[in-house]
Amino acid sequence: MVSEQLIGNLIQGLVLGTVYGMATMGLSLIFGVLKVVNVGHGAFIMVGAFVTLMLFNALGLSPILAVPVAFIIGMGLGLVFYYTTIKRLIKAPELATLLATFAIGVLLEELIKLIFGSEFRGYNWVVGKLNLGVTVLPMSKLYACIGSVLIAVLLYLWFNKTRAGSAMRSVVEDSEGARVCGVNVGSTYALSFALGIGLTLTSGVLLTMFIPVGINPYMGGGYTLKAFVIAVLGGLASPYGAFFGGLVFGLIENGSYTVFALIPGVEPFALTRFFSFVMLLIILLLRPTGLLTKK
Amino acid sequence: MKTQIKKYYPLLPVYAAYLILFIIGKNMTGMWQLVAMLLFYCALGQAFNIFLGMTGYVDFGYVAFMGVGTYGMALSISRLADTQMGIWIIAMGFLLAILMSGLLSVAVGAVALRLRGAYFAIATIGVNEGFRFLIEGARIWNGSEGIIFTAQLNKILGREAASALSTFWADVMVLIIAALAALVTMVYMRSKIGYALTALREDEDAAKVMGINVTKFKIIAFITSAGFAGLVGASAWALKTPYVFPPEVFEIHYTVEGIIIVLLGGAGTLLGPVAGGLIYGISKYYLAIFLPGFQLLIFAPIIIIIIVMFPEGVVGMLKVRLNNTIFERFII
Repeated sequence: MVSEQLIGNLIQGLVLGTVYGMATMGLSLIFGVLKVVNVGHGAFIMVGAFVTLMLFNALGLSPILAVPVAFIIGMGLGLVFYYTTIKRLIKAPELATLLATFAIGVLLEELIKLIFGSEFRGYNWVVGKLNLGVTVLPMSKLYACIGSVLIAVLLYLWFNKTRAGSAMRSVVEDSEGARVCGVNVGSTYALSFALGIGLTLTSGVLLTMFIPVGINPYMGGGYTLKAFVIAVLGGLASPYGAFFGGLVFGLIENGSYTVFALIPGVEPFALTRFFSFVMLLIILLLRPTGLLTKK
Repeated sequence: MKTQIKKYYPLLPVYAAYLILFIIGKNMTGMWQLVAMLLFYCALGQAFNIFLGMTGYVDFGYVAFMGVGTYGMALSISRLADTQMGIWIIAMGFLLAILMSGLLSVAVGAVALRLRGAYFAIATIGVNEGFRFLIEGARIWNGSEGIIFTAQLNKILGREAASALSTFWADVMVLIIAALAALVTMVYMRSKIGYALTALREDEDAAKVMGINVTKFKIIAFITSAGFAGLVGASAWALKTPYVFPPEVFEIHYTVEGIIIVLLGGAGTLLGPVAGGLIYGISKYYLAIFLPGFQLLIFAPIIIIIIVMFPEGVVGMLKVRLNNTIFERFII
């Protein structure tokens, strides 16, 4: 029975893992290109969740339609924050960008709280279920999974087939070298930041398809921590590494939950979150360049 | 001897500010509550500054040290109430607070301080959440139910003394802790530790090449800062409100407030945390009256503006203004 439950949970974990991976690609993209750690990452996921919620509850639009809307809003937000704040801090010590992105996160949380209040919200999107025998998978989760994979593939194509994508990759490798070769590093920074935030807001939409309840202004904190674990798993600077890191993380999270649930007298949910933190420390200690990168 | 004392002149404005605060609170009716809050913020800033300000490393999990300090005091009072130790239980609580926050900082520091810059910040961002979920998940120290020790405190001290403790003496202890933290900051600044930390904050690689054992000095600053955080938690939280719940003491907002205070005043300066604590505390107090619930909404853009436009903070700017004047030697 336990093994069947474990397999069921692992399938759920794999599906959730694709969304986790997608939710971390923006973070890795921004770190890879700008060398800026977006500490306010979770807040942008939260904004994406609220976009979905508003479109669904106020206008009756399906969460699938929220994907492009959130992406465009995210690009806009990214450009605004890049030109007002990040651009002036690129050359400053790391302390400055860490604190600035942190403050941006707090600002977003407080703005959303001001507009929508701090109670937990949710929406109810009924699209049927898929029975796999060992576990039942709601179609909404499957859509989120397919969406994540599609976006990852699109990003891959964009990186490898377009000029702007190649420019970005060249800046990741060596920003000075890219400048010498005629790449406009400034606009590449702006585009990467906007794209990263756009992806992050989109992932907020996909995450609410997975868990359509518990949407509130402070929901992002947990995702920030998870995204960091995943990004570090994947090597921090690589969006694809992040995607596969997400898969691994989804499996470990659901697997460890199943194991912790067997121990009497503990709260498995809280322990799972503690476990992800311990995992972060261990990976940082052993392989700060990521488990999935080549030496 | 005179030059020895002269080295410590910058402590004067800090202690003058604390003295004035204390006198205002003691003698003006209805002011103690505000003064207590200001003292808390000054102490928080003073303690956080030893690490954040002096090393330039951002610890996003700083509140965890205050949290375990609170637990140290709570455990001492709730577990030792039946012994005949009397008032020594409180002393024991402070000892436990320092010990527990110190131990946690050694554990976190051993992993995180090997990492630089962004990686360090990432490693610390989960410390408070991680520790909170360990306590809740493994049901350590009553897990998510927390510890309530009002009855035990009354039993140890008597009802009257316990209430005097929570309304007055706890805040006096916060004041003493803030003063001690300022003294330690000053001593560090005037010793090898301070010079080493300045060197590593400016350029860690260069400091390393010069033969400075950067890791050692980072750990010293980290443990000192964490120990003071534990003491602040033990007095400002455990003694003032005799209960402790994990979600309340591991609340990341206190880390945010600490960062704002240190930056506002001027990171790495001695007077900075006092200036930052006063400005932040007073504006928060009046914002809470006139615009309740909007404090963070107002402070978040302020942090961004400070970082972009005034990275030196209030005291940093003041220092430049007062160069070559008689006040120069008092401001650090």
